[in-house]
Amino acid sequence: MHTEGLNIRFTGKGGEYFRIWIVNLLLTVLTLGIYSAWAKVRRMQYFHRNTWLNESNFDYHGTPIAILKGRLIAIGMFAAYNVMINFKPLIGLAILLVIAIVMPFLLVKSFRFRLYNTSYRGLRFGFTGSFKGAYLNFLLLPVASLFTLYLLAPFTHRQIKAYQHNNSRFGQTAFSFDAGAGQFYLIYFLTFLWFLLAGALLGVGAYFIFNHAIVEAAQENNRQMFMYIGIGVYLLFIIAMLLLVPYFTSRIQNLVWNNTRLGMHEFESNLGAMKLFWISISNFLLIIFTLGLFKPFADVRMARYRLQSIRMMPAGDMDTFLAASKQDDGAMGSETAEMFDIDIAL
Amino acid sequence: MTSVSAQYYDGNNTRRHAVTLTFAQGWLQVRGEEISRDESLNTASISEKLGSAPRLIHFNDGAHCEISDHASLETLLTEAGHQPLSLVSRMESHWRVALASLLLLLAGAVAAYLWGLPRVAELAAQRIPYSTAHQIDEQALQTFDHGLMQPSKLPITRQQQLQQEFEKLRRGYSLPEYPLQFRASPEIGANAFALPGGTIVITDEIILLAKSDEEILAVLAHELGHVSERHALRNLLQGSIVALALTWYVGDISNLLATAPTLLLQARYTRNFERSADAFAAHMLQAKGMDAAKLATLLDRLETSHRGKNRKGSKLDEWLELLSSHPATEERVKNIRQIKPE
Ligand SMILES: [Zn+2]
Repeated sequence: MHTEGLNIRFTGKGGEYFRIWIVNLLLTVLTLGIYSAWAKVRRMQYFHRNTWLNESNFDYHGTPIAILKGRLIAIGMFAAYNVMINFKPLIGLAILLVIAIVMPFLLVKSFRFRLYNTSYRGLRFGFTGSFKGAYLNFLLLPVASLFTLYLLAPFTHRQIKAYQHNNSRFGQTAFSFDAGAGQFYLIYFLTFLWFLLAGALLGVGAYFIFNHAIVEAAQENNRQMFMYIGIGVYLLFIIAMLLLVPYFTSRIQNLVWNNTRLGMHEFESNLGAMKLFWISISNFLLIIFTLGLFKPFADVRMARYRLQSIRMMPAGDMDTFLAASKQDDGAMGSETAEMFDIDIAL
Repeated sequence: MTSVSAQYYDGNNTRRHAVTLTFAQGWLQVRGEEISRDESLNTASISEKLGSAPRLIHFNDGAHCEISDHASLETLLTEAGHQPLSLVSRMESHWRVALASLLLLLAGAVAAYLWGLPRVAELAAQRIPYSTAHQIDEQALQTFDHGLMQPSKLPITRQQQLQQEFEKLRRGYSLPEYPLQFRASPEIGANAFALPGGTIVITDEIILLAKSDEEILAVLAHELGHVSERHALRNLLQGSIVALALTWYVGDISNLLATAPTLLLQARYTRNFERSADAFAAHMLQAKGMDAAKLATLLDRLETSHRGKNRKGSKLDEWLELLSSHPATEERVKNIRQIKPE
């Protein structure tokens, strides 16, 4: 039996993806954005097909038309809201309310689309989450968390992950998720402590760096000087966020995957906060300095690190997963006619 | 005859079968230990090549083959009379095409910025009524009054007198009829400017710098030129479009930073805007029987007063000055003096 687990491998290459990216960007511009749906399919296929587990790769089956439909819906809602909020704020708010109400519905559709269109060794993934669950987890709990000053946020986060993972399947085999809310609270609490620490350090640092400038600015009542100090503090804040976001992301990814199973098979994730921080900050700076040309290299680099930090710990034969029966298939989202994808990252 | 090694999956379970593919007698033949099927390449769907990622051949019953040996597969497809690579796949595989795409995109971006953007902003500005854009003015004035500017220290009678002369100057033109806004601002110094909705703000400092009311009216005529051609609104629209494009382009976390460069990009009016506002002012002043050269006189004096002020400015100010597209005053003065009465 396997005891060391099966590492996920990612074989995408920056230079190769850069060529795909730039050619598709040109085609997107030339077609006034319409080709972007085709470009997205190519991008998804490139990343899926270069992701390997146990010497087999994943695949993506989404169709450009479904993606185009989803984009039109999203752009329509966004435009309707933005136009109305400026000219008829009340109607704008009504539209926002409608968007909030249909969002869980769209999310379920989108999860179904994404999972159903992902396959491994010829078997499709699937999503069986109910609309009721989606309304509970994506509308009711976030609103409740808002009213409890975000005290419910870690619990909500846990419920959302549980809803997503408990309702996912690979063929007939169900995923399950068993992390407790306490573990989410711990990560949120530690992130908050880091935030306070970083804030205090930044405050002290800013005091020493800008002390002279602030006094001078106050004496001369120099607005411009205050503006530069403001920009300085803002940059320090961004640096702090660049530090905290990788910490939070890595802890959450590890928690989620270490508590997810596929049938009896377990997963292990050991994403490092420092490594993730280094990759995100260097990606960020290189993207800025290359005016965005580093983006495809950055995407490949990030995908490689995040994917390769996940391992599967098989509890038995990997060859015996079965495809969903035709009956289950419908429930999992193969009703292609009404499918569309919404670009929302959760 | 080429044979290609591949992995075969039947679509019902995750078992992997090693197979070889050959093309013979018009059929794609899939052969492995337990697998033997003949498929038509016309009904099978062959995925496009994406870099060195494996290609897949899907059959109608849900089974598929994964092929990593690209060269052999391409030979096999050619033998079968199929185009082995799609046009986009071929484009994606050449660095020369990638470089050409990059250059085309850059050229397109430059052209859009230099020609497309001003044109789009102009067309959009023409469709926005003054009354709509006026809301921006009110907000801007509120912001200014929270520190950058103070109420004017000019006597009310002087303000009323200038207000009347301003209205006389504007009479007969289809321009919005918002009252002139008087403000004191040591920080901005001697200046007058038009806001996107057509409101004109004038500082005490420039009124005191002017040697005659005619000079003040000349400046106001110049600002009315900006109003008439919607320069401030056009600048604002251009800036917003650039900010939007940058946010989209840079994306993700970095969109926090995306708005900063636009502050620099849209810092000042372009020379063209200044030149056309000057021309508008010259014609307006002539039409009212005034001396257009007064604008040039005041511009000269402004330039001297700004130079004196800048000498004690910080290094950063000088650097910002370099970045701005501030029109050369000398050239403007020369141009105004050349405008002859009709
Ligand atoms: Zn001007």
